[in-house]
Amino acid sequence: MDAEQRGPRDEPPPFLKTWKRLYAAVLVYLALLIALFYWFTRHFS
Amino acid sequence: MRPLDWAVLAASLVVIVAYGIWRSRGSNTMESYLLAGKTMPWYAMALSIMATQASAITFISTTGQSYVDGMRFVQFYFGLPLAMVILSATAVPIFHRAKVYTAYEYLETRFDPKTRALASVIFLLQRGLSVGLTIYAPAIVLSVILGWRDSVTTVIMGCTVIVYTVLGGIKAVTWTDVQQMLIIFFGLVVSLVTVLALLPGDVGVVDALYLAGAAGRLNAVDTSFDLGNYNVWSGLIGGAFLALAYFGTDQSQVQRYLTGRSIGQSKLGLLFNAAAKVPMQFFILFIGAMVFVFYLFTQPPLLFQQVELQRIQAPEHRARYEPIATEYQAAFEARRQAALELVQTRRSGDDAGYQGAAGRYREAQRDLDEARRRGMQLVEETGGEQGFHDTNYIFLSFVTRYMPAGIVGLVIAVIFAAAMSSISGEINSLATVSVVDIYKRHVRKEATDRHYLMVSRLATAFWGAYAVAFAGWGKTLGSLIVAVNVVGSLFYGSLLGVFVLAFFFKRVGGNAAFAGMLAGEAAIFAAFRFTGISFLWYNVIGCVVVIAAALALSMGWPKAFPPPRKLTA
Repeated sequence: MDAEQRGPRDEPPPFLKTWKRLYAAVLVYLALLIALFYWFTRHFS
Repeated sequence: MRPLDWAVLAASLVVIVAYGIWRSRGSNTMESYLLAGKTMPWYAMALSIMATQASAITFISTTGQSYVDGMRFVQFYFGLPLAMVILSATAVPIFHRAKVYTAYEYLETRFDPKTRALASVIFLLQRGLSVGLTIYAPAIVLSVILGWRDSVTTVIMGCTVIVYTVLGGIKAVTWTDVQQMLIIFFGLVVSLVTVLALLPGDVGVVDALYLAGAAGRLNAVDTSFDLGNYNVWSGLIGGAFLALAYFGTDQSQVQRYLTGRSIGQSKLGLLFNAAAKVPMQFFILFIGAMVFVFYLFTQPPLLFQQVELQRIQAPEHRARYEPIATEYQAAFEARRQAALELVQTRRSGDDAGYQGAAGRYREAQRDLDEARRRGMQLVEETGGEQGFHDTNYIFLSFVTRYMPAGIVGLVIAVIFAAAMSSISGEINSLATVSVVDIYKRHVRKEATDRHYLMVSRLATAFWGAYAVAFAGWGKTLGSLIVAVNVVGSLFYGSLLGVFVLAFFFKRVGGNAAFAGMLAGEAAIFAAFRFTGISFLWYNVIGCVVVIAAALALSMGWPKAFPPPRKLTA
């Protein structure tokens, strides 16, 4: 792939420094949400 | 609707439409009309992505879904954050670097013209069907408020949107979405606060939670594994596949992040959606659950669709209507008493009394549901719509009857605004694919930019008219939010499969990808026609069959299904 094909640069995210860390943070957040909803379902049923 | 509501509604719509048209200035080339000149910041893309997905259907149907079936629908969105992460890491950089107008344009670069054409046609077919439902949902708003038939309001709503959409380009659509999403967030908070404020004075928020929970309306997570229902597994796996297909291969979403000014900005737009979407859907479903609690103490109508209710109340049907109404009244009263007992026994810590009240409460709920089912059956048997369902009318009926003046107008304006942005975005994407992937590729390859811009506007008008013609189908589909996703799932799996092949299976060529897509579609329609599998799994089935068939053909018959030229050269 030459420079023209690569096109725009993939700059780092504005927080957590790398995209991998940001992706991991999103997945941890999802796990916490599901756990919270599970507790919500069990507690009020 | 009181005068203040009409004033709020009219002012909101005029401001939104005027803002959209003002933002569309400068959209006088094909690239600016279809891709906003690739100048969009991440927050505009993020809110536009959310606004396009969260249409009027989200407000109207999801709240009703929660009222009748509880909050289990939120699990449908659990796979979305997974999909956003995968797409940010794969599709976003690939599409940006390929410098394409549409996702399907990339398929020609990777495979061949026929694979691109097939993917484009599949998109046009499924999005064309879905946009009809998107128009039908706001038409319900008018039918409830004005007491008109859905067909009349569908035509009026559709024509208004067509005019607006043809005038505005993607830049106008995106910035209008930003404005509308902020109004939606505000409207959601106001709606929940108002519902809670309308509960009886001696029923607190915690009581409301236990009452909704005892009736199965707070069933947000179901860990059992069942292919036919919403549960955490179908949500995580099936929902992830659906979201991958929707956000990765549906031009109405891909076009949003193609407008980003950089790869990073587009990724941030998707990741913001990942973080905000699940809580937002939970919040909307929770409003529906609280509307259910409100109606424990204020008798709801037997049917929330006023036109049909008045029809079965007419003298010629009274002999059949009145026994149902009497049964419904008795079941409501029994449920109200049991609900009050439930509140008192819970507060006093009387566990045995609580269990007894809960049993009576659930039994009364079953009786109430049965009376409603008989009411809907009466609608069908007396010449009404076959498959009649009033889920989509529940929230609007509540809003117009019980919310204070001004707030009603605001909520209705939010619903209209959300609908208009979704429809305009969808029609815009349909026009883009029609012009870029079909007209410019196969009909007229060389023409001026001005010509393609004019054809884009004509294509937008055509798809708007098509959507209006198809909208009537929505009446027979029960919950619209489910119907939209079922229609999408009939086609998304094979689209997702071909893009997975394109990104990750470099030895698969155009012939194998094309045959794989056909096999995937056949498998999905077989699952739809002959099995009871939930639509969430269609995307998994379609994607897996496309990949398996293409790989098998490539390896089994390499002469007929050769690898791409770059590999064979």
